[in-house]
Amino acid sequence: MSTNKISSDLLRGNTDTMILRLLTESDRYGYEIVKLIAERSQGEYELKEATMYSSVRRLEADGDITWYWGDESQGGRRKYFRITDKGRATYETNKTTWEYAKRVLDTLL
Amino acid sequence: MTDKLNEYVDGVFAPYEGTKSLGDLKTDLLADLQERYRELLAEGKDEAAAFELTVDSIGDIEETVREVSNLSRVLERQVVTRFDASALENSDFAGVAARKGRFGASALRGSDFSNADLTGSKFKSSDMRDVNFDGANVTDANFTTSDLSNATFRRSRLVRTEFSSSGLNGVRFADAALTDVAFRKTDLRKTVFERCTFTGVDFSVSDLRGLNFDGAVFTSVRFDKAGLEGISMRGAILRDCSFRGGWSKRYYKALQTIDFTGARMDKLTYAALKGFGVAPTGVIVE
Repeated sequence: MSTNKISSDLLRGNTDTMILRLLTESDRYGYEIVKLIAERSQGEYELKEATMYSSVRRLEADGDITWYWGDESQGGRRKYFRITDKGRATYETNKTTWEYAKRVLDTLL
Repeated sequence: MTDKLNEYVDGVFAPYEGTKSLGDLKTDLLADLQERYRELLAEGKDEAAAFELTVDSIGDIEETVREVSNLSRVLERQVVTRFDASALENSDFAGVAARKGRFGASALRGSDFSNADLTGSKFKSSDMRDVNFDGANVTDANFTTSDLSNATFRRSRLVRTEFSSSGLNGVRFADAALTDVAFRKTDLRKTVFERCTFTGVDFSVSDLRGLNFDGAVFTSVRFDKAGLEGISMRGAILRDCSFRGGWSKRYYKALQTIDFTGARMDKLTYAALKGFGVAPTGVIVE
């Protein structure tokens, strides 16, 4: 397995949490999410539209986020995603879990 | 060129026409792609390069389409199975699949859930007296603080089922393998366990006085701080079981009243009992 493959699997595994993080800051629509992830990772991680939408659906089914129609803009009517209280709690838990895993991995690798 | 994007996305979704949630996904995706395409043009890319980059940003959409259509089916089912605070006495749910059903605070007395798939369902604080769960799958189901008096669980699938603080008078568990089931703080004096095996079961702080566990198999079971007077474990098999009573003298005294005649236990369980001053007689240590 190449380094690329490993790191992209690892990153993809945390997509839900990345999206929750972006939504803790502000309500956002789909393209905004993929764009911000590319920007913040300075192009190191390119979240595909497909991965983002499957993640968003999952988060919606779990009650971590909801959505509403935004105002008409240049790109037509956009669906905005908003984090719920449950989603904020999920984010905090995932973040803690990651901090823990990182600590353990640091001692092992 | 945006027509070309439209065409491309149409092609991807063509096999799934008619699924409502997918129609939404298609609209959302198309709006995203158009925005990206416009931005790439504004950055100075030519149309062909912009189109290629845009299509490339989609990723494995077939997989997502599959996931989304599965998920919407699950969501539909969840809507159907919300019975919170309903009066459903003597209802017939035999054989239904109500995964993750919600029956919180419901009146379900005498209902028939035999052979139903109730994985992950919540029955908190409900009246579930005389309910039939024979052959049902109650994996990850939650019965906390429900009244289950005289309910039956024959050949039920009991994995991580939560019974803590529920009323289990007259409940009958028979021919079942209880795995990681929780009975914390539960009064089990009038509960019947027939031909059951117990793996990872938690009886902490529960009242087990006078129960008959003859011939039962216990693996990694916790009896910590439980009421143990007069329990019969004749011919039972105990492995890696935990009997901890903290500072309670009464607990250790009760421990001595358990009838372990003919029981088999591993050295660890035996040593733990001995350490607490209990020297069970007639035990086979393996």
